[in-house]
Amino acid sequence: MLCVSELSISIDKKNLLDSVSFAVSTGDYLCILGQNGAGKSTLLKALMGITPFRAGNITLNQQKFSDLNQMQLARYVSYVGQNHPSLDMAVLDFIRLGRYVHHDAFAAWSNSDQIAFDSAIALTGTEAFLTRHCSSLSGGEYQRVKIAAALCQQAPMLLLDEPTSSLDPHHQVEVHHLIQQLNQQHKITIIEVTHDINHAVQHSQHILALKSGQTLWYGSSAELLSSPLLPELYDQPFVTVSHPETGQMIALTSEVK
Amino acid sequence: MSKTKKVLGLISLFTIFILAFIPYLGLPDYLPPAVQQQILIEIRFPRIFLAFIVGAGLAVCGLVFQAMFHNPLATPFTLGVASGASLGAALSVFFGIGFSFFGLSSTTFFAFGGALITIRFVYAISCMRTGFSLHTLLLTGVAISFFFSSLILLIQYLNDLPDAYRLIRWLMGSLSVVGFDAIWQLLPFVVLAIAIIFYLSRELNLLTTGDDIALSRGVNVRQTRLILFVITSLCVGAIVALCGPIGFVGMMVPHMCRLLIGHNHRWLIPASCLFGGSFLIICDTIGRLLIAPAEIPVGVITTLLGGPFFLWLLVRTRKPTT
Repeated sequence: MLCVSELSISIDKKNLLDSVSFAVSTGDYLCILGQNGAGKSTLLKALMGITPFRAGNITLNQQKFSDLNQMQLARYVSYVGQNHPSLDMAVLDFIRLGRYVHHDAFAAWSNSDQIAFDSAIALTGTEAFLTRHCSSLSGGEYQRVKIAAALCQQAPMLLLDEPTSSLDPHHQVEVHHLIQQLNQQHKITIIEVTHDINHAVQHSQHILALKSGQTLWYGSSAELLSSPLLPELYDQPFVTVSHPETGQMIALTSEVK
Repeated sequence: MSKTKKVLGLISLFTIFILAFIPYLGLPDYLPPAVQQQILIEIRFPRIFLAFIVGAGLAVCGLVFQAMFHNPLATPFTLGVASGASLGAALSVFFGIGFSFFGLSSTTFFAFGGALITIRFVYAISCMRTGFSLHTLLLTGVAISFFFSSLILLIQYLNDLPDAYRLIRWLMGSLSVVGFDAIWQLLPFVVLAIAIIFYLSRELNLLTTGDDIALSRGVNVRQTRLILFVITSLCVGAIVALCGPIGFVGMMVPHMCRLLIGHNHRWLIPASCLFGGSFLIICDTIGRLLIAPAEIPVGVITTLLGGPFFLWLLVRTRKPTT
């Protein structure tokens, strides 16, 4: 579905991404790992058409990226950014903005809009605070509202930039669960930037590990923990142990200096 | 939603009341009815009509800038667009350039030019640094405003006395016109601008959420912003050429409308239009009646109201509106 080849991005003569290639098929779940400043968010923004790229190719459903306008792109791809902008509007109105691509300038709110809206809020469990003001939401609530707004767009691919970074463990699990549900039951292709190695290994199908704008490792998620490149990824040694409940391998940061 | 419609209905009623009532205010009753009739038709009606379209145009342009820059302090005036237009107009007066094209005076063209060049320049400077920073843009606008104001002062200083007086009088902002000719020159620009802006109301809603969200929802942000820059420059340029810079309408009116009606531009645009129109009519009437038979220029009235309002906006603690 999505094919990225030799993608390079530089801003102010600084290379942020250097010749990154990968492919994502329909229904895939790709996690992007890497240190702060490795180019993860930049890559995600390039896929949403927010950041322009210098060299390389992106094709989406056999269509070249440069041939798609922003509206066509937004029908395929939706994006949940990292920051929580302070918005001067009610949650309900913010989520409704997700229907932009499906409307003409003066179209009224239609039945299909309502169906998309209802399913987005049901999935994210945001019914309870629809009438509240965006600025009154907690971090976890806001995250779900942002995902609901993106789902309203009904794009088959969803990009998420560190959706759980600012959340407590309970809300992290909740959002992880939601993403998995979207991927498995609703067949939405997911690309997620995350710092949570164990979450990536357990839940995603593929992992792309970036270091200083270059691909360090790219493959099936289950194989990352046994890769010798893992310590290099974060310049940090790890030990792997099996989870006492599930028996799955998990990585812990090593205390040995 | 129904509350929004009610408020919009009230604003419409208020506007109709203003339009129907104000022309008769302060008519000299010692004059014979025929003369009163003539004053109404040739002076009052044009003036009130002009005040309405100028107010509506300025309010909607202010609304657009506030939405594009996510900042209630960003208006064509604070970003230097109006100063650019004023400088253009002042230059055409200074060099005594007089031509007309399709019934538009040279002053109008110079004001357009000034507005467009300024916005291009402000935008280019703010783009020189990484990306598009809104704070850079605001500060650039402020610096340019000061710079152009001094250039206008210089032009005044170099001019002979009658021209300098005309310039000063014009820079205060005035709505005194005789007959409808000037209005027919201005009307197409304001109507076109408001129509295009209304057509883009969904894009404006999304632009208020920030570029990243707007882009990911499918808005062509670059193109939308370019259209809005050009159309507001044309509208503000045309208004400034005819009436001089009438400040702060574009800041106060949209802000009050937001408090009354919420954030949806589908409703905000008509509300700002109507409220801006009646607001300027009221300001002009105050200026006309306060020290009658002399007049205070309307720009002085709006600035006297606008200065404190600007400060209030600056110091006000930000509270959610619902």
